[in-house]
Amino acid sequence: MKLSLSLDIAAWGEGGEPIAAFRERAALIDRAAPDFVILAREDEAGSLTPPMLEALVDSAWITGVLKRSCVVAGLPGLHALPFHVSRALSAVDFLSGGRSGWMPLTGDLSRFDTAYGTNLAGVDAAEMNARLDDFIRATWALWDSWDDDALVLNKESGEYLDSTKVRRVGYEGPFFKTMGPLNAARPPQGYPVLLRDADAVTASTIAADVAIGSSEALAAADAAIKLLKVDTSSDQALDGALAAVAAGTFDGVHLYGPRTIEVLGTLDRSPTQAGESARQALGLAHPVNTYAEGAAK
Amino acid sequence: MTNKANGKVHLWAFLQGIGFFPGGWRMKNAAPERVFTREYYEHLARTLEAACFDAIVFGDQLQGRDAAGRVPGRLAAPTLDPFTLLAVMGGVTERVGLVATVSTTYSEPAEVAAKFAALNYVSNGRAGWNIVTSAHPNTPWNFGEEELLEKSLRYNRAASFVKAAQHSWNAAAGEGQGGFKDKWFDVAGSLPMPTSPQKRPVLVQAGQSEDGREFAADCAEAIFCPAPTIEAGQAYRNDLRARAVQHGRNPDDLIIMPGLAFVLGDTEAEAQEKHREVLELADVSLCIEYLSESIGYDLTVHDPDAPIPLEAITASCEFPAGMVAAMLKPSVEAGRTLGEHCRDYATKPRGHAIFVGTPEQMADRIETWVDAGACDGFTLQPGFMPQELELFCAKVVPILQDRGVLRSAYQGPLLRDHLGLVSA
Repeated sequence: MKLSLSLDIAAWGEGGEPIAAFRERAALIDRAAPDFVILAREDEAGSLTPPMLEALVDSAWITGVLKRSCVVAGLPGLHALPFHVSRALSAVDFLSGGRSGWMPLTGDLSRFDTAYGTNLAGVDAAEMNARLDDFIRATWALWDSWDDDALVLNKESGEYLDSTKVRRVGYEGPFFKTMGPLNAARPPQGYPVLLRDADAVTASTIAADVAIGSSEALAAADAAIKLLKVDTSSDQALDGALAAVAAGTFDGVHLYGPRTIEVLGTLDRSPTQAGESARQALGLAHPVNTYAEGAAK
Repeated sequence: MTNKANGKVHLWAFLQGIGFFPGGWRMKNAAPERVFTREYYEHLARTLEAACFDAIVFGDQLQGRDAAGRVPGRLAAPTLDPFTLLAVMGGVTERVGLVATVSTTYSEPAEVAAKFAALNYVSNGRAGWNIVTSAHPNTPWNFGEEELLEKSLRYNRAASFVKAAQHSWNAAAGEGQGGFKDKWFDVAGSLPMPTSPQKRPVLVQAGQSEDGREFAADCAEAIFCPAPTIEAGQAYRNDLRARAVQHGRNPDDLIIMPGLAFVLGDTEAEAQEKHREVLELADVSLCIEYLSESIGYDLTVHDPDAPIPLEAITASCEFPAGMVAAMLKPSVEAGRTLGEHCRDYATKPRGHAIFVGTPEQMADRIETWVDAGACDGFTLQPGFMPQELELFCAKVVPILQDRGVLRSAYQGPLLRDHLGLVSA
C-alpha cells in the first residue's frame, strides 16, 4: 500500500523557531516513510493548492530532512515558467538522489492572479487545460535537451560532456516557447515523478505517474498509480479506504485532515521496496527522451 | 563592520561548482562528479561556516552554454539552480549567509519574492539576493522572447521589480497588502508567504556600468565587482559611497566586495606551479570553446593555427557584432592565431583579479586592500574546487583571525549581522 500526505510547514505557524519545531515533527514523518510528501496546502475537503512556503526551495531543503520519501513540489501550474521549474527540479533531483516529484496545481487561481497581475481565472476551461498541458510539455522538453548519458567527466581526455547529446529543442506550444538547452543536466529520474490532483476542475490531458483523488475522479484518471484521498478525522472513512486498497481498487491512500501525522504512524503496511530513485521504487518506467538521436518521435 | 569583534574584513565565497579556472575540473584532486551530489555542497557549507565567512554566493545564467547551437564538450557546465544549492547548504548550517543570483528580467516579482521568503524562512534569516538583469542574447529565447530588453530598460525594470518584491516581504511581516503598480507591474496584492527574523534578503548588486552603479547606490547593500588594482578599487568604492550619500543613504550601509580568484601554495614557487598546471589543463580545444561561448559563435570549425576569422565571426555571432569585433581587434591586428588568442583569453576569466602566492601573502593582500579603502572585503573565487577553498579556510583564515581582522565567531544569526549593516 502506498501512502501520501501533504505538508506546508510555514502554514503551521509555530512562531519562535518554526524550523526547529518542524524538525521534531519531521522525524515522525520520516520514520513512517510515506511514499509521497506533497508540498502543498490542503483545505478541509483535501483539495490541494500551492503552499505558503514556495515548493521548489522547500523541496531542496526538506529532502535533507525527509530522507526516504518522494518529495513533490506543488506548483502554480498556470503561473510557473517551464525554464525555472525544469532547472530547479533538475538540481533537486540530483541532490535528493532521484526523489523529486512535481504536481502542477490549478486551485485558488485568484491568489496567483492577484499577485501576478493576471486574469487566468477568467479564461475558459478548455484554454486552462491546454495551458496546463503546454506547461508540462515545455518543462519535459527542457529536461530532454540533455540525454541521460551526456556527461562524460573524463579528466584525462578533457571530455566533460558529449556535445552531440545536448541540444536546442526549440519547443513551441500554444502558450510557451523555449529554446534550450537547459543549463542543467537531465534529472537522474529522467523526469521527476508527475502527480495530479484528479479532483481539480482544471485537468491536464497528459497521463500522470500518480493521481490522488476521490474514487469517482480516480476512476476516470489516466495515471499509473492511484491513491484514494481519505479524511483522517473519520475512522469510518479510513477503514473504508483501507478496505478498498486491500481489495485492489486503489494502490494506496492520500491522507488529509488534522490527524494525518498521527494516523500515519499507526498504519500497518509493508513499505515500498527501496530503489535507487523514486521511479524505481514505484516501479515506474524511465521516461523516454523524445529529442534524443534515434528516439521514436 | 564597525563592531571590532565582527572584524573589519568581510569574506564571501563565490562558488562556481568546479572553481574559477576553466581547466580546474581536470586537476588531479578535482572530483567533478561531486558537483552533482548533496554531500559536496553540505561539506562546502560546513567548511565555510567553520571559517566564519559572511556568505556563500552562487552566480547564475538563464541559458545553456552553447555557441550557435553547439554545446561545448570540454567546459565544465555544472550550473545547478542557486536556490536549490543554497537551501541544501542552509539545511546543515546555522549562521553563514546564502546569496542567490536572480535576474529581474525573466521572472515575476511574486515568484522571486516567494522564493526568497522561503530561503529566508528555512535558514532563519540568512538569505541574500544578488540582483542581475541578464545580458546574454540567448536568454530571451528560453522565455519565448526574441530580443533582450535594452540595458537601461532592464535596470529600470529591476528597480521596480525590487520595490514590488519589498512590498511582498513587508506584507508577509504584517505591513500593508503587498500591492504595487507602476509602468512595469500592476499587482493588487502579494502571495501569502512566511516572514523571518531578517524580514527580507540582503540586496546585492553586481553591475559596473553607469546604470548598474546608480541602481546599486539606490538600493544595494553590498556590491560584487571586479577590481584589478588597489587604485581601481579605491576609485570604485569612493564613487559608490559618494553616490550612496547622494541617494540619502549612510555609505557604511553599502559594502564593496570585489572578486578575487586565488591559487595558494606553501611557497611562492609551489603556488606558481599549481597556477601553471591549471592553465595548462585548459588545452587549446577547451579555450576555443570558452571564447565561442563568450561571443555566441562556434569557433571549433576553424583552424586554431590560422588567423582569427573575424569576418565569418561578425557575420553570424549571437552577441552584438560591434562588441565582438572590438574585443577581437587587437589580436587580429597583431596577427595572432585563433588558438593563441583563445589561450590568452582563458587565462584571465571574467576580468577578476587573480592572486597566486602563499597564505601569508594572501592575508597581507586582503588586509592591505581593506586598510587602503579599496574594498570592505573580498568575494573569493577559489582557483579550483574544493582544494583551494579548503586551503584558504585552513591556512589563510587563521592568520586573519590572529591579526584580529576577521571574526572568530559570528556576532549574530542573520546575514545582515555579519555584514554590519547599520540601518534596517
